Amino acid sequence: MQSIINSIVANRNLIIYLILSFISFNSLYINSSVHYNGIGKTATYLSGKSSFFSSSINSYFKLKDENQKLIDENLKLKEIELEYKNQIVEYKSLESNSIINGSVIFNSINKSKNIIVIDKGTNGGVNEEMGVISSKGIVGIIKSVTENYASIISVLNTDLKVNAILKNSSTIGSITWDGLNSKILKLNDIPLSSSIKIGDTIVTGGMSFYFPKGIPIGTISNYDNSSLEGYYEIDVSAFNDFSSLSNLYILERNDNDEIKILLND
Amino acid sequence: MIRELLRNIFFYTIILVFQLFVFNQINLLGYITPFLYLIIFIHYKTSYNKTILIFLGFITGVIIDLSVQTYGCHTFATITICYFRGWIEKYSFGVNSNLPSAMISGTQLINRLTFYGIIVVFHSIIYYSLVFFNIELFWTIVLNIIINSIITFIIIWLISQLISNK
Repeated sequence: MQSIINSIVANRNLIIYLILSFISFNSLYINSSVHYNGIGKTATYLSGKSSFFSSSINSYFKLKDENQKLIDENLKLKEIELEYKNQIVEYKSLESNSIINGSVIFNSINKSKNIIVIDKGTNGGVNEEMGVISSKGIVGIIKSVTENYASIISVLNTDLKVNAILKNSSTIGSITWDGLNSKILKLNDIPLSSSIKIGDTIVTGGMSFYFPKGIPIGTISNYDNSSLEGYYEIDVSAFNDFSSLSNLYILERNDNDEIKILLND
Repeated sequence: MIRELLRNIFFYTIILVFQLFVFNQINLLGYITPFLYLIIFIHYKTSYNKTILIFLGFITGVIIDLSVQTYGCHTFATITICYFRGWIEKYSFGVNSNLPSAMISGTQLINRLTFYGIIVVFHSIIYYSLVFFNIELFWTIVLNIIINSIITFIIIWLISQLISNK
């Protein structure tokens, strides 16, 4: 205590000088708008710099949360997008009611019947025969579900056939896979009478229990019109890269049962 | 002792009155205002209390600020030269600065010139930087510092000679 008092006494001139400087600066700051703005600007600059530094450190540690937030937001936007598309084609009766988010934990592309497994099951609201899409387009249909996991029949599965249309002309066809190239799907049932060209976009047709109309599938990369059966043989280059799927969206539809009842009647 | 105090107060008052009513009204070329009151801090004796010098600087600065509405620029400049006067003395007079005698008489001319010059220029730099407070006006500030320092220095030097001759 004695030494503190001693050092204060020894440095009394410096302390008095600092206090009086503070008083004169304060008077400048209060009375003169030039200095008010100048000092204010400096203060803003300094606080901006320091908070940028601390926030950049903070944000690094919050990346995981941030990622989750972005995924959630994406989910909402996807929902809105689908709703919007349905509104445009006045297809409200078939609009999907909500979307569930899932992550891929197993994925294959090198077999003829490829399966994807995700980390959401009945506990997460996933049921059989739901459609699955990614941010780029169609992925597959839920095949079987356990409490915490679900398996998806990928579009890269020779058993799956999905209703599809040409986006421009609304000509109806169906998408299958021939089991050869994971990037190329086949579009069948397009009659030779309709006009197509390379680069046309293929989307889901809506005549399906699983997908609403307008989910992107791919673009026409090649076609052959020499078939004798009266249909094109069309190669579709898929929007999705099936070898690098991570986040998937499962479309939940409440009206499937109603439609099935109608069909059974 | 009492006589000395009264004489100092008289000197201080005269200088302040001259600064307020004569030199503050001078506006040579539109921007030159000599700071005669710096002579108070130049002639403050080395043997006197340094803390009182700082308070004296503060009071003088406040009075000048109030009269010319600079809101603290003079105050900060004067308390700064009062606080640093010890170092300026040491730099200007070297070992002689510890002598308890009045510093005007009995010192080398070059030492005195250095001492006056440093105080005047130092004060002008602080004052004009604070008054303009804008880096874009850098050359205006430099011009003001140079011209004002020269005029102030000449006036203070002449008045000092006058006082010491008496």
